Amino acid sequence: MARAGGITNAVNVGIAVQADWENREFVSHISLNVRRLFDFLVQFEATTKNKLAKLNEKLDTLERRLELLEVQVGTATANPAMFTT
Amino acid sequence: METMSSTVSMPFPRGPTSYDEISMQQSMLFSDSLKDLRNLRKQLYSAAEYFEFSYTNDDQKHIVVNTLKDYSVKALVNTVDHLGSVSYKVNDLLDELVDEVSGTELRLSCIEQRLRTCQEYIDREGLSQQSLMINGSKYHKRYILPVGETVQGAIHTKLNYQGCNLDDEDDWHQLKNAIRSTIGDTPSVGIKGRSPSPSPRLAQQPGNFSFSGTITRKDLDKRTMSPLRFPLLRSGSFSSKPNTPKSSRPTTPNRSRPTTPNPSSGRQQYILEPRKSASMRIYFEKESPKDIEQSPSKSKRLLKALLSRRKSKKDEMLYTYLDEY
Repeated sequence: MARAGGITNAVNVGIAVQADWENREFVSHISLNVRRLFDFLVQFEATTKNKLAKLNEKLDTLERRLELLEVQVGTATANPAMFTT
Repeated sequence: METMSSTVSMPFPRGPTSYDEISMQQSMLFSDSLKDLRNLRKQLYSAAEYFEFSYTNDDQKHIVVNTLKDYSVKALVNTVDHLGSVSYKVNDLLDELVDEVSGTELRLSCIEQRLRTCQEYIDREGLSQQSLMINGSKYHKRYILPVGETVQGAIHTKLNYQGCNLDDEDDWHQLKNAIRSTIGDTPSVGIKGRSPSPSPRLAQQPGNFSFSGTITRKDLDKRTMSPLRFPLLRSGSFSSKPNTPKSSRPTTPNRSRPTTPNPSSGRQQYILEPRKSASMRIYFEKESPKDIEQSPSKSKRLLKALLSRRKSKKDEMLYTYLDEY
């Protein structure tokens, strides 16, 4: 009986160890996917920031050029005699 | 678990009718996705607390662990879907903005180019108006360059000659033609009583203006062929026969010169050649039909006056007239 009980305990321990390894494998998979998701979010943040910076630069350039054009047009409209000659 | 499934399910929108409705629906979907991402953290925290409490209190721990595994997998997949959707929409929105900015840059460049074109046109018009007001110095064509003048001087004279009045030149040209025709029609008449006239030798040299000298019979015959004393008409024949021997000119002032060609005379011809070409170039440039048509009445009157006096006073009056000019 004692021998049979020892075998049963060994089997139970083996099953528990196997389940524990399966759980560890599952957790490692989940953590790996979460890390991949985190990397994707970091990369997406960098890309989006870069795009936003370029867009901001273009908008600044456009704003300056528009201001220059406004000044030129205002100067031209302030001197209508330049177009009547 | 229940709240998460309820937030994921969204009502499917109806078919859009216009661009504004499409954009509004897209913006609503994007805002819902962002709201789900914000709620996802709360749901995950609440799910973790629930599974912890169940694992400690419930006897069937195996079932709780399996349920936790399923929930974590579904939550991860759902999070990846939400993040993919939101990132795609953000990326699409940024691309649209970049395209819009690029289109605006293109339109602005077009406006700048049009403005620059207008500015260049205004500058060119102003320059042309200012350039028309500049008057060059006026020289008459019959004033041939002196002997020591070089080709650059002739070209400079030609350049300065661009802006002068054309009436005198045309009159002079018409006068020369009239004199040619008049002398060609009438026989050669002696002009012994006529005061000073240049010899043909001197007339063949374009730079010589000497009006004094002895006149021989041969000179008079040559004068009948071409009465003009000015070298403009002679320059054509002078250039056509560049290698004329010295013996053909008996009235040369220096009779002691040898018959062999003088190198100095060759150099003189070389110097005189561009001067002739410069004067002829001016002559042909100013002799355009448009310029001739500008003063026909004055020239015709002058010709009529000359031809009417041809029979009565003949060449004497003509030469006196030429002397006056």
